Amino acid sequence: MSNQPDRSALRNLQDKTAIVGVGTTEFGAIYRDLDPERSAYELGLIAFREALRDAGLKRTEVDGVIVSRLPHYGRMCEMIGLRHPRFVNVLPGEGRQSGIALQYAALAVANGMADVVACIYGNNGRSAGARYGGESRGISTQAMFEAPYGMTSPGAVTSMMFRRHQYRYGTTTEPLGHLAISNRSNAALNPNAVMQRPITMDDYHGARFIAEPLCLLDYCLINDGGVCFIVTSAERARDLKHTPVLIHATSQASDITPVYVADDFWHEPMSQIADDLFTYSDVQRDDLAFAQLYDNFTPTMLFTLEGMGFCEPGEGGDWITPDRIGLHGEMPLNTGGGHTSESYMQGWALHVEAVRQLRQECGERQVDDAQYGLYACAAPLATGHVLKRDN
Amino acid sequence: MTAESQPAELSYEKPLPPVLELTKPFWEGCREGVLQIQFCNICDLPWFPPAEACPRCLQDEWEWRPISGHGTVWSWIRMWQKYFPGWSPDEYPYTVALIKLEEGPYMYSTLVDIDDQDVSCDLPVEVDFRQVNDEITLPVFRPMSA
Repeated sequence: MSNQPDRSALRNLQDKTAIVGVGTTEFGAIYRDLDPERSAYELGLIAFREALRDAGLKRTEVDGVIVSRLPHYGRMCEMIGLRHPRFVNVLPGEGRQSGIALQYAALAVANGMADVVACIYGNNGRSAGARYGGESRGISTQAMFEAPYGMTSPGAVTSMMFRRHQYRYGTTTEPLGHLAISNRSNAALNPNAVMQRPITMDDYHGARFIAEPLCLLDYCLINDGGVCFIVTSAERARDLKHTPVLIHATSQASDITPVYVADDFWHEPMSQIADDLFTYSDVQRDDLAFAQLYDNFTPTMLFTLEGMGFCEPGEGGDWITPDRIGLHGEMPLNTGGGHTSESYMQGWALHVEAVRQLRQECGERQVDDAQYGLYACAAPLATGHVLKRDN
Repeated sequence: MTAESQPAELSYEKPLPPVLELTKPFWEGCREGVLQIQFCNICDLPWFPPAEACPRCLQDEWEWRPISGHGTVWSWIRMWQKYFPGWSPDEYPYTVALIKLEEGPYMYSTLVDIDDQDVSCDLPVEVDFRQVNDEITLPVFRPMSA
């Protein structure tokens, strides 16, 4: 197509910026301690404080703020005493926005709009009684043309897609079980994870259905927490405490339709992202030490693996084996336990896990030779990055 | 009036769609047993759900046109989770289907006149209607008659 943009310019961002500080609240402890007064801002504040300490930066050195799921940037900036930030944005509380937050931060820093950007996320969903389904008010498409049939929830649309995948390729739920079990065994080695009791394939097959064919163990948790990551230039990062984790390559693609689902299981946007990441960078899939894949529901990981070319479309079910995706396998997935076992921080904690793996801070769950790692989120608005441990 | 004496349709507790100026013709059609969606008068593109302009031309020269009511089941689920009030315990799990209309757009709905074990993706279906109250009649889909 003649109007195809020249995507090679994506290389302009390569290794220009770095994540220099990460912070997370407790996940497990506060899961067991519901608090209706716990605010998302408080959780964001705790994570920000932790990320600053981790980076060895002073509060006053932060001049950019991106918040997500927090309703207003103003309250967050006020609470962290940031009166004159020069780059501010607010992103909705959708999982697909976590990767986008990092992209905006990198773009701002690489282009001189800010020196140090704090990306802050706070989620008090569990304490606030979030159900992620059952909305029937207003004049949304959901309220007018879905709720009357009892259609609701992101899990139900993912289940629709998975049923279609089963029909087209003969996929069984067994690989989803492997993903859920693997996430849980990784979480068992993560002291901060919410769910740490190992599960078996019998547990998986015995779990109650939510939107059949998906069951409870295919679903992300609903828990409270906050996450922050701090981005600055690679140059500045090299003067800070930790080995910088460079944003080596990043890309965004999309397939936006009225019904959320995609007939190709998001192959088109995910293959575009893979193409961007592996063409305009120094790495190939084989160089990745791990992949943190957005797992609001287990099939999303399957779609991501196929879309990004880890296997052919339809072959994900065979590709996903415990040996391959485990911590010492060919492609460890969701090493901290993911959304189904560590914490439902809508992609934010997956970013932090990637950073900690690349810094070799993960103790018992540390993967081998972590030089490059992948984050990817398959959704109507999809993102992916390759993160790199600086040499 | 006590709950016991209410006519059945007044105790309908499932979510009901608000009828907007934009969507009114859709619901009027359903009341008359006609499934209709918007078509662009310039480029003939059909679309659903309703919108104020053609997503291709961006013009508001469109009209509601009856469609075939034929389609296929793109996919379907059985909902076990009790997200909504209004479905009685014996209605769980209930079926929700995503219908790919012959004309192109997709529509969430439910399936009637079929047992779950007979449902499959790509099953040919045709529209039917279920009256809820004076204003709302919901389009549903049943297996295509032979």
